[in-house]
Amino acid sequence: MKKSYTKGAKISNSKGSRKTILNFLKGLLKKGSLDAVLIPMRVPAGDSYAWVLIKDKKLLDDANPIAPIMPVQGANALSSCTKKGKGNLKIAALMRPCEIRAAIELSKLNQVNLESVTLISYDCPGALPMSDYLQDPGEGEKVFDSLLKKRDRDVESVKPVCGICDNFSILPASDLHFGLSADSRDNILLIPNSKKGTGLLNKMDIKPSEDISSWAKNIEELKKVQEKKRKERFEYVKDMVEGFDSLVKTFSACVGCHNCESVCPVCYCRQCYFESETAKPDIESILLKTKNRGSISLPADRIMFHVGRMVHMSLSCVSCGLCTDACPVSIPVAELFSYVGDRTQQTFEYRSGEEKGEPIPMKTYRKEETKGINELVKGAEG
Amino acid sequence: MNSKDKILVIGAGIAGMEASLLLANAGRSVLLVEKLSLTGGNTIKNEDSFPNLECSTCMIAPIQQDILQNPNIEVMTLSTVKKVEGEAGNFNVTIDKKARYVSLVDCIGCGMCYEPCPVTLKNEWEENLSEKKAIYVPCEGSLPNVPAIDPEHCLQLNGKKSCNACVEACMFGAIDLSEKDEEVQVDVGAVIVATGFDMFDAGKISNLGYGKFPGVYTSMEFERLFASNGPTSGELVLRGGGESPRSIAIIHCVGRKELGYCSGVCCMDSFKYSHFLKNKLPDAKVYNIYSDICLPNKTYQIFYNKIKGEGGGFIFQSSPEDIEIKESSGKLGVNLTDRNGAAESLDVDMVILACAIVPGKESENLAESLGIELDGKGFFLTRKEDVGTVETSKAGIFVVGCAEGPKDIQNSVIQAEAAVGKAILIGEINGK
Amino acid sequence: MESKKTSSKIGVYICECGPNIADNIDIDTIIARLPSLEEYQNKELVVKRYKLLCSNEGKEFLENEIRENEFTHLVVAACSPRDHDTTFINVCKKTQLNPYLYKMVNIREQCAWIIPDKEKATEKAIRYIRAATSRVLKQSELIEKQLDIDPGVLVIGGGISGIETALSLAGKERKVYLVEKSSELGGKMNMFKELLPRQNGNRDIIEKKIEEVKKNESITIFLETELESAVGFLGNFEISLKNIKNNQPGAEFTVGAIVAATGFRLTDTGKLAQYKYSKESEVYTSLEIENMIKRDGKIVLKSGKEPESVGLIHCVGREEKGYCSQICCNYMLKFISFLQQQSDSIKIKDFYRDMCLPHKEDQGFFEEVKNKGADFIRISDVKIKGTHVEYTPIGKDKKEVDVDMVILAPAMEPEKGTEELAELFNVPLSETNFFQEEHQQLNPVETSIEGIFIVGACHGPAGISESMLQAQAASGKISTRLIPGKKIVPEVKVSEIMEDFCMGCRTCMDICSYGAITFDGELSVCVVNEAICRGCGNCAGSCPSGAIRAKHFTSAQIYQEIIEAIR
Repeated sequence: MKKSYTKGAKISNSKGSRKTILNFLKGLLKKGSLDAVLIPMRVPAGDSYAWVLIKDKKLLDDANPIAPIMPVQGANALSSCTKKGKGNLKIAALMRPCEIRAAIELSKLNQVNLESVTLISYDCPGALPMSDYLQDPGEGEKVFDSLLKKRDRDVESVKPVCGICDNFSILPASDLHFGLSADSRDNILLIPNSKKGTGLLNKMDIKPSEDISSWAKNIEELKKVQEKKRKERFEYVKDMVEGFDSLVKTFSACVGCHNCESVCPVCYCRQCYFESETAKPDIESILLKTKNRGSISLPADRIMFHVGRMVHMSLSCVSCGLCTDACPVSIPVAELFSYVGDRTQQTFEYRSGEEKGEPIPMKTYRKEETKGINELVKGAEG
Repeated sequence: MNSKDKILVIGAGIAGMEASLLLANAGRSVLLVEKLSLTGGNTIKNEDSFPNLECSTCMIAPIQQDILQNPNIEVMTLSTVKKVEGEAGNFNVTIDKKARYVSLVDCIGCGMCYEPCPVTLKNEWEENLSEKKAIYVPCEGSLPNVPAIDPEHCLQLNGKKSCNACVEACMFGAIDLSEKDEEVQVDVGAVIVATGFDMFDAGKISNLGYGKFPGVYTSMEFERLFASNGPTSGELVLRGGGESPRSIAIIHCVGRKELGYCSGVCCMDSFKYSHFLKNKLPDAKVYNIYSDICLPNKTYQIFYNKIKGEGGGFIFQSSPEDIEIKESSGKLGVNLTDRNGAAESLDVDMVILACAIVPGKESENLAESLGIELDGKGFFLTRKEDVGTVETSKAGIFVVGCAEGPKDIQNSVIQAEAAVGKAILIGEINGK
Repeated sequence: MESKKTSSKIGVYICECGPNIADNIDIDTIIARLPSLEEYQNKELVVKRYKLLCSNEGKEFLENEIRENEFTHLVVAACSPRDHDTTFINVCKKTQLNPYLYKMVNIREQCAWIIPDKEKATEKAIRYIRAATSRVLKQSELIEKQLDIDPGVLVIGGGISGIETALSLAGKERKVYLVEKSSELGGKMNMFKELLPRQNGNRDIIEKKIEEVKKNESITIFLETELESAVGFLGNFEISLKNIKNNQPGAEFTVGAIVAATGFRLTDTGKLAQYKYSKESEVYTSLEIENMIKRDGKIVLKSGKEPESVGLIHCVGREEKGYCSQICCNYMLKFISFLQQQSDSIKIKDFYRDMCLPHKEDQGFFEEVKNKGADFIRISDVKIKGTHVEYTPIGKDKKEVDVDMVILAPAMEPEKGTEELAELFNVPLSETNFFQEEHQQLNPVETSIEGIFIVGACHGPAGISESMLQAQAASGKISTRLIPGKKIVPEVKVSEIMEDFCMGCRTCMDICSYGAITFDGELSVCVVNEAICRGCGNCAGSCPSGAIRAKHFTSAQIYQEIIEAIR
């Protein structure tokens, strides 16, 4: 059982939550408790954001710890620098909860090494859809700033999958957490959530002595609201993916660009099977299918790609919504995956990215999993 | 191959088969002699084997198949060893090979010959719980899957009547009623005795009512009753017919006191029955009436704890001799003394007697033929000078499995492997 | 690497199985229909029937047909592959046809015998045959390799099990390396003098055997040594040893098999509240008593006086451990018998729960001891305060008694270091922390890694006889697998990892029970050791990237078969 952490430190929010977070990180760099920070930064030459690994604390001033958009999943950024080993640098990664979950998933698959990484999460207000933001970045920043100040969660302006997110706050895998949705907007709660996190606070001489229960209660209430929204939305999404005809309809506009796969943080294969030569049918099997069905759309297996991805990845889906952002024809891929992911993960009593080291269902076998098999067999026989 | 490199294995149960297969895979030539018409011994009578409840047939059918197909193994069924002369490295063996009357080569096991046979007999292999014809396989899935004819009861063979029904039914010309019993002479270098065991005759303890009340079963009867390839295809139909039992008493240690030893496996068998019953009849009451719980393996207590968790009563009773089973109006009354010495009575529909393992009936004759000794209980005796061994008083003759004493499958296989090692390594160490 | 041959010539042979197939399947229709089917249009196809292919004549016929027609692929439609797959594989082996380019279809049990309608049965048989031919065309030749073996054996542990293994195996052509961590051979047996009556009072058995080991030129003994690493597979393990005393690297050599005989220790009674006692009190563990008998020739109190009353407590730590140690009841009887011989007036109180006497000779011994006046009390609970015993006879009220001496029978547990050794070998431990067998019943002294064996008390609680038998059993298995001068043929239907797809996530390494997969850090990919892989295919199923292929069961082959079957 993970030790439960029930105390936090109250820090003033007078300069705004972004500044407060940056100051804390600067302090850690200064003390040498950290060697570098992985954090989003607005691209100087454009309107988007990128992940940067910052060693020089002065450069931190240009970072934006809570970016309004998520063009690249933080887990991918983390994987790109830790896959080959932990290295000597002590890194802190400031990421959205869904990015942390993806990082945890990837760590189980040896694509991220967390040994020297401190994961810092915050109460995420959601992210804006890329397309909305890019239409008018200035307006986007404003909208997002107002979201950050709101006590309740906004459904309208964030990505649809953020609008129904019920896992937007502290995670068991967070080492440190910034409780932004504190009672009063004057303060931020800094909550250590692991030995690593406690260690960093000690280095900064910050004593986590405040009781965090009222913040936690607030989060719980927000979560309940979100759960309800999620459930309602899924009632609708369900009809878009259940049954072959629904799938065909939902993905009818798919242009086969595979953007969804290339931005997906947990779709980590070196080469996607669906893009490999093996997956390409030979003429004989195409002719055979044509003969059986009368006609066949080409290239073949376009739906198969999505179904295949659901089979392969839904157990690890963290509902980050990058796929929808990347879809040129506005298919709500993220909500579909989120729905399917919820269902498959429930089946295996698994929540992707929730616990470090919890084996992915593929790796484990529990006796209870065979429950019902006898009935199935009997059903098949009878 | 030199005849002295050949090894005779007597008994095609789990121990004998394991020994044969290991030897054959090492390139040794093996003669496997089995008194029945099928291989598999007592293990295949079990539906599942403890403690992993692995399907016994599935577990050993591949071994049986291997035995029959391995070019290094000659399987001689319906055969018994009559005489063994000579010494280690050079035994001359005389084998009584009974006619099967059905060709192992030509028969494909289609079973078309059973129906036309006019003779119906009790099926002893099925503990007399079902019937068979005079041309028969003991149970579905017998290996070799080739029937044999019972010459005592076949009308043609016992001369009572002229009958050719099976011969006519066979499309492969596989049946030859003129086949004769043979006496076969073989030279072998070593002998492995793996003749297994029989079960204690529960009728000898009269107060348990076996043979008197139809609801009282021996453990082996229950195994067959429960087996999916058994007489009822695994349906728990009691001898008298009617409904499935709603309460069952399993009495441990039947015969232990009379015989003077604990068989070491009956507790686990009883728990297995308990589990079967609970699984199949969740509402049934199952009582285990025991005197000592014997769990001689690192994993057995785990199984026991699981069974305890499944419910059912565990009643301590010092010995089955003090139990009296009576019948009144269709119910069996199990009268016993509880741990405080007070009399207690259980009403049940079925009683299962966990009978002790006893030496095989032919052990005495075989011991004489082989020139080796039995112990006071009738099991084969290993070399007295040694502590843990499978060697007998006669060099080159080894005894493994329950022929040596009661034991579970694991220990039977361990002994089989040990005997194989002895047979092979003796030559190797001497630098052959 | 699907079949490279461009011009395929497929033979399809249908067995009539007497009337069994012929009566309920229209074989002539099959013969007439098959060549007209589209998928055979640009291929050479020969379809024939035969009355009984498994008969000697049938096998000869098939052999000649394969030769004369120079088939590149073969399908046999007959009975269950369980019955005759091997038969036809052996036929292929006699010819030029690689047996992995052959496939058997069951049209008897799965068609003729179960479908009453002849037309439907025939249709189904055609589907099956089509599925098999299209699969067989996707199959690849697999070539069996022969590997040289080293017949030598490494034995870890110089107790009775290790010694017995070494003595059983060592010979002119087989070297045995016996590694012992302490400074002398003999293990726990060095503490024993008195054995059980059924062990024939063979008191100096261990001394004799140690002498034999020392004399044997084929046995090399390493004392105060432990295993540093063991890498390889059956027939070929690279061994490095380590000298414990100076922590320096020791000898390096190659063996074909490894036998772990690392033994047991008694569970720490100090950790069990009800059996806590001080060193000064007259409470002894069984091994302390064994040692006392060996050292002093008698069982005595600290004062040197013989005890007048002794309480013996069985099953110490059994519930906590979760298993019965099997031999304790026996040696407790041995102690009682010894005490009875030591003094006629000895008062024995034996506190037991269940008497576990699973050997044919044991109960007689029990009765003998009991008849001499020992008091056996079946208890549900017991506790000691020094030599003051509080106990609850089963179903009765709590009682207490003072005795001069208490003897405890603590549960046996695996010797310290067992877990580390299991990790080094990559073999699993059972729930009870002893080594786990490959198959509890059918392969009881081998681990899931072929060529690594477990004998004696590291396998599970075992006495001297059981340990020796296990040692002989492991020797038996080794003698059949590692025959000096002979080669071994590893499985060819193994898994292979396609580097281009592998992301190095190592899921397969967790899944593989045989330790056949390693990680290549430089390339960030996993690699299958074909000599260890047994072709179970679990890794192929687990690979999230689809980078693993189980040879002879590739997705393409299976897919092709299914597609045809449901066409």
